Amino acid sequence: MLGPDLSWFLVLSTMLFVIGALGVMLRRSPLIILLSVEIMLNGANLALITFSRRWGQEDGQVFAIAVMAVAASEVVVGLGLIVAMGRRNLELDVDKFRTLRG
Amino acid sequence: MNAAAWICLLLPLASAVGITLTGPWISRRAAGYVSTATTMGAFVAAVVAFCFMLGDSPEERAHTTTSWTWLSAGRYDFGLTLLTDQLSVMMMLIVAGVGSLIVAYSVGYMEGSNEERRYFAYMSLFVFSMLLLVQGGNLLLLLAGWGMVGLSSYLLIGYDQHRPAAIRAAKKAFIMNAFGDATMALALFLLVEKTGSLDYADVFANAPTGTVATLVALGLLGGAVAKSAQIPLHTWLPDAMEGPTPVSALIHAATMVTAGVYLLVRTHPLFEQADFILDLSAALGAATLLMAGLIALAQWDIKRVIAYSTMSQIGYMFVGASVGAYASGMFHLMTHAFFKALLFMTAGLVIHALTGEQDIRKMGGLGKLMPWTRTLFLVGSLALVGIFPFSGFFSKDPIIASTLAREDWFGYVLFAVALAGTFLTGVYAFRLFFIVFTGEQSAFARERATHSSHNDKEGPISMLWTVVVLGVLAAFGGWIQFSPFWDPITKWLEPVAAPLVVPTDTQEWVASGCALLLGLAGIGVAWSLYARTRRERDPLVVPLFANKFYWDELYDLIWYKPADAIARALTWGFERPVIGGSLTVITRGFRVGSRELAIVQNGLVRSYALALAGGLVILTVIFVSAR
Repeated sequence: MLGPDLSWFLVLSTMLFVIGALGVMLRRSPLIILLSVEIMLNGANLALITFSRRWGQEDGQVFAIAVMAVAASEVVVGLGLIVAMGRRNLELDVDKFRTLRG
Repeated sequence: MNAAAWICLLLPLASAVGITLTGPWISRRAAGYVSTATTMGAFVAAVVAFCFMLGDSPEERAHTTTSWTWLSAGRYDFGLTLLTDQLSVMMMLIVAGVGSLIVAYSVGYMEGSNEERRYFAYMSLFVFSMLLLVQGGNLLLLLAGWGMVGLSSYLLIGYDQHRPAAIRAAKKAFIMNAFGDATMALALFLLVEKTGSLDYADVFANAPTGTVATLVALGLLGGAVAKSAQIPLHTWLPDAMEGPTPVSALIHAATMVTAGVYLLVRTHPLFEQADFILDLSAALGAATLLMAGLIALAQWDIKRVIAYSTMSQIGYMFVGASVGAYASGMFHLMTHAFFKALLFMTAGLVIHALTGEQDIRKMGGLGKLMPWTRTLFLVGSLALVGIFPFSGFFSKDPIIASTLAREDWFGYVLFAVALAGTFLTGVYAFRLFFIVFTGEQSAFARERATHSSHNDKEGPISMLWTVVVLGVLAAFGGWIQFSPFWDPITKWLEPVAAPLVVPTDTQEWVASGCALLLGLAGIGVAWSLYARTRRERDPLVVPLFANKFYWDELYDLIWYKPADAIARALTWGFERPVIGGSLTVITRGFRVGSRELAIVQNGLVRSYALALAGGLVILTVIFVSAR
């Protein structure tokens, strides 16, 4: 098997995921949160591909492609929402949207 | 042949459905004509079936026809089967024939009441139900017809839905009949269990014996007693007089109450396996005929007197069918249909002329105003008492004779009771006749009758002709069979229900003689009491009779009062504190809990994300450590 050891890939994948998760939890701009979600997804993709390579089976890659497709559609919806917010001159801060408070 | 049977059954149903569906598109009068025409069509079909049957040899007269398998459950298949044999064709003729006359009479009687379409749809449904009952080829269809007859009677008794009394009477009839339906259903369950079938032929071929037979017969008897208004399930019948008069005629003459007698005759192989139940049924019939006769002496409502006479006459039929004189019972059923329909319809003419008055104390001397009605009522009364040569004489006396033919003490007791009943019949029938039609006109009758809007005082011609037809039948219909001289009905029914007892000629003469003399004696008593003077105080109205032997009060005490007390106790002791209280506690818990939980949902997206991540971490720790 060429390249670095398997664990490096997993470490990188975990780091991406954690960075993304922290971004979702800490940032208030919906645009950044969307980006962070993408980072999380790609971290997960990396793990999928890693294991796919490790076991020599293509299932993981197929899943990764499916995740990418989902991510793309999600971005479309998410960006659409953000653009709609911007056009209404709403402040781009998720903490301000608290209508669903119980 | 089979087609005729199907047409006979389905025409009234088509009429009921048609009138219901077309609704206001046809006039009220047209609904009456549709109903009359279809019932007469059913009668014609029954005649056709009868004529076909005459062409067959006596042993091959039973025809069954199955349209499709109606119900299939496991091993059991119940077809929508019609059985057309000697017995059912006789019932078809009576039901459709007398029924069509009554429906035709209703066209005039119901004119001007507001909802004639509903009325005629119900009438057609009633006739259909009864035809289903008598034509059904297995016990399940019989039970279906049985229940539908109960339903139709409920609808018709409660036709006048704005009067609480009518609604009460309808409910009472329905509930008491439902009780009988239930015992019958239990008997059928037992039969299915033991014989694996409900087809008449199979069931009779494998008729159970011993205790099972007794239980089955008891269940069937329960149904018969409820439908035919015998002790102890009789109290609905007099109250059913709340319905319009033609409905009373239909219930009493053509449909409904005769169903019990039909059941006894139809399922006689099952009853013959249970001697005790047969004796019980005879005893109930005898007790009913005596008690109903006594009660009828003390009633003031013209229709109630006739209603009690029906109970009494059905009692005779029960006695006849129970001692094994099936043909005599069926013959009395037929003549009774004639003269009872006649009595009810002449009473209807009287009520119609007096614009709804039913209290005989306010009538009197109507004979001069309504000579036709008086004559026809007299014919009906004479037939009811069984005076030669009117129809009741030919049919009632063989029943009395066949009680003698048992030749044991029970038979002699039945004989004595039946004769006493004949005497009572004479008294109450002619008490009614003398009070209503003879003597001086009461002020009320004079005033009402002169202000009546009819040009002719007796009623429209559409009502009169049916009454005249029935009068002819009631007068001469009995000559069909004059045992011991000629007996076509006994011969006709022999392949279906061979008699268990055949009275000798001497017994016939003794019974006829005694019955005739006692009937005349009863008429004489009525004449001496009521014909000459209008009495202010009626000597026969004693409280025991006037209060119907306190059956209603008894049932009130046994069933209603305890049920009411239990319900009250449960309301205050259980429902309000336990069920209601626990609900209050539970709802309060939910309210408080949800208010507390709502704090968690603070609307901050990032805190939700934190909760997700935290949950993920916790789950990961759990899974990793649990490995």
